[in-house]
Amino acid sequence: MRFKASIQNISTFTKLTASLNSLGPLAWVKLSEEQVCFTIIPEQGTQVWAVLSIDAIFATISVQSAANNVINLEVPLTSLNRALKSALNATSAHIRLTKNDKLPILALTIVTTTASNTYSAFPAAHTGPASHEDGFDASFDNDIGGGNRETIVTHEIPVRVLAPDTVAHLHEPACREPDVHILLPPLMQLKSISDRFTKLALADTKSSTAATATTSRTRLEVAANMHGCLKISIRSDAMSISSIWTDLNNPELDPGHVAGGEHGIAEHPSTRMKQLGTADGRSDQGWAVVSIDGRDWGKVMSVGRLGGRVIACFCHEHALILYVYLPNDNGDDESVLTYFISSYSA
Amino acid sequence: MVILNFTLTPVAASKVHDLLVCLGKFSDTVAIEARREKFTFTALNSSKSAYAAITLDGNQFFTHYECVPSHGGPDGRFTCSMYTKALLSVFKGRLYDPLGRDGAIDRCDVSVQERENETQCRFIVKMVCNQGVIKTYKLTYEAVDVMHALFDRSVAKNRWSMHSGAIREYIEYFGTKTEMLDIFAGEDGRCVFKSYTEKISNGKEILKHPLVTAVAVNTSDFEEFVVQTGMHIIINVKDFKAIVVHADTLKTSLKAFHSQPTRPLQFSYGSEGLICEFTLMTAGDYSAAPPTPAPQAMNSRQASRTPSTTTADRKDSRSFRPNMPPPVQPASRRDGSGRLRNPGSRQASSAGQAQPSRKESDSLFVPEDEDEDDAWAPVDHDREETLGWDASASHDAAAFPTFTDSGSGSRTNTADSNEVFEPTQRVSQIKGLW
Repeated sequence: MRFKASIQNISTFTKLTASLNSLGPLAWVKLSEEQVCFTIIPEQGTQVWAVLSIDAIFATISVQSAANNVINLEVPLTSLNRALKSALNATSAHIRLTKNDKLPILALTIVTTTASNTYSAFPAAHTGPASHEDGFDASFDNDIGGGNRETIVTHEIPVRVLAPDTVAHLHEPACREPDVHILLPPLMQLKSISDRFTKLALADTKSSTAATATTSRTRLEVAANMHGCLKISIRSDAMSISSIWTDLNNPELDPGHVAGGEHGIAEHPSTRMKQLGTADGRSDQGWAVVSIDGRDWGKVMSVGRLGGRVIACFCHEHALILYVYLPNDNGDDESVLTYFISSYSA
Repeated sequence: MVILNFTLTPVAASKVHDLLVCLGKFSDTVAIEARREKFTFTALNSSKSAYAAITLDGNQFFTHYECVPSHGGPDGRFTCSMYTKALLSVFKGRLYDPLGRDGAIDRCDVSVQERENETQCRFIVKMVCNQGVIKTYKLTYEAVDVMHALFDRSVAKNRWSMHSGAIREYIEYFGTKTEMLDIFAGEDGRCVFKSYTEKISNGKEILKHPLVTAVAVNTSDFEEFVVQTGMHIIINVKDFKAIVVHADTLKTSLKAFHSQPTRPLQFSYGSEGLICEFTLMTAGDYSAAPPTPAPQAMNSRQASRTPSTTTADRKDSRSFRPNMPPPVQPASRRDGSGRLRNPGSRQASSAGQAQPSRKESDSLFVPEDEDEDDAWAPVDHDREETLGWDASASHDAAAFPTFTDSGSGSRTNTADSNEVFEPTQRVSQIKGLW
């Protein structure tokens, strides 16, 4: 079993691991030479299934294993993220699967180069005992020689190798065709508003003694229609707040991707939803509504740091599915993170 | 009655803040030792594995410094101990602020009030702030005897130094939850700083194991690097971080001195009348060190001076002896413990000389089963730590009071001929004695 890759896009990789880590501590990573999959299946809350093209993060990759050259690993995201963070200013970064004391590890090796005189920019700091002169001469020589300090940092991330059988029963959740699909507004906007709602709801709960009420009180109601409207609202005994976005985009369905082609689109729930509701969001009709946990939603919104386009698919009172397309140079949507958020039953 | 008054500039006061922050990472209390010409803060951590001493020079560091200890003459000293937090609440951050913002001071006057005719003994700090505001703090202190860890730099053959700014960059790579730091002098011209945690568990728990981070640095990037190739020195990573972060506030070079793993390591740095010395306990895989004429002897206090024991070394070790913790030891007992450390190697090197003493002390040396013990003992760390308190050695003295007499004879003997007492008895032979 061999896995070796050089990382080309450390920043994306770091942000990816940080986003995923907010949902769960462990990721199932499926490596092959065609694509890399990250899957988070927490005990409760949102599942993430991410499929990334190789060039989204790696420059070169080599994966060899007895199981069709696919390697399945369980990776602690906090460690991976921390290791990657320190590589942000690296001149090069490589990752490989290896063993230490018979335990499998992912070894992240980064090379950083620092100009040797960066820390002695103020030679005045070199005062004190005479022995300091030696030190100064040494760094002076380095400067003349144009020498840079090259540092090699190796992080060892403990991992577990998963047998093909272990992951064979894991499947992406299946969902019915969505009632509404809509391009979300900038996530930072969405996040700050929904976080505020959650906070208000929690502040309200503090006065009430019932601990069981907590989860129901941080329940956000998210709704969208097929006329470019998105609504987030929260309701408690004391208040009812909602925010509405209008003029958002409802992408056209691609007949090639819908079962039944043109006919399928005509029968698609979203086509029916188009008949209902209005573009100013004041109508009560035509909304597909899901009820989700505000705190969990806040974790999901953490994916905003990747800066991709996000399409939300609403299955009325059933589930919310987010497709996060990573920005890339060639315009293809090869790398996509899928978030499965199930709705509380009303 | 002690007289201790000194005045600090805002810059010096903020340096006091920085050093207190650093010492606070080692101990809750900081001890103060004031002498006529210098002022020292010391801290010893609870496990006594790390000792810090930060000395402020009376003339250089202070704008005014006066210390007249109540007794002891020129060597006299005033010692006390205080809570680090209490001092830190007085020496806050941002005492020095060129823009004169909140918290900035003009100067800081400190005096100690300790008079027999007054009920209150106080450590008084006056912060003279802008606009004529004077904040006076009166702190209580506890009279303590200040101890110093001794470190013999002449023995520390391995040394390196590097600018703190560079090391500061390296420590930032280390994982947050790691405990240990292995400093390894590689054979490829690199020095590796590796932070890790001792294995705690296996199975699913493995994934919770903190990151192991190794930072490899070209030895040419050091200002000085003289370390035996292949040597591992292991210290506490938190101690190291605390030291580096503090050294970086002074923008100075950090120097390290050490001899062997399991022997103390000292970090030293300083500037402008402030000298910091940290003496740390080390662990290490000394078996990984290249073989020396008497590899076992590495453990021995005597032999740790140099691998090949010479007469001069012996004398050296004797002069070092008063620093050892226990009451006066008979030289013979010391020899005994020296032998305990390295029976095999010494036997080989000085078998001839050892012969007479073996006869002489035949009936006196009781616990002579150390050959077997050593064969089974995995590593000798503990015994190294308890040198001089060796239970078997004290047993010796207690059970055979006359032994001290013959001890003087063997002392001269050893000093001159560089020989050590050899094992003389087997356990099977001595059972009757108990």
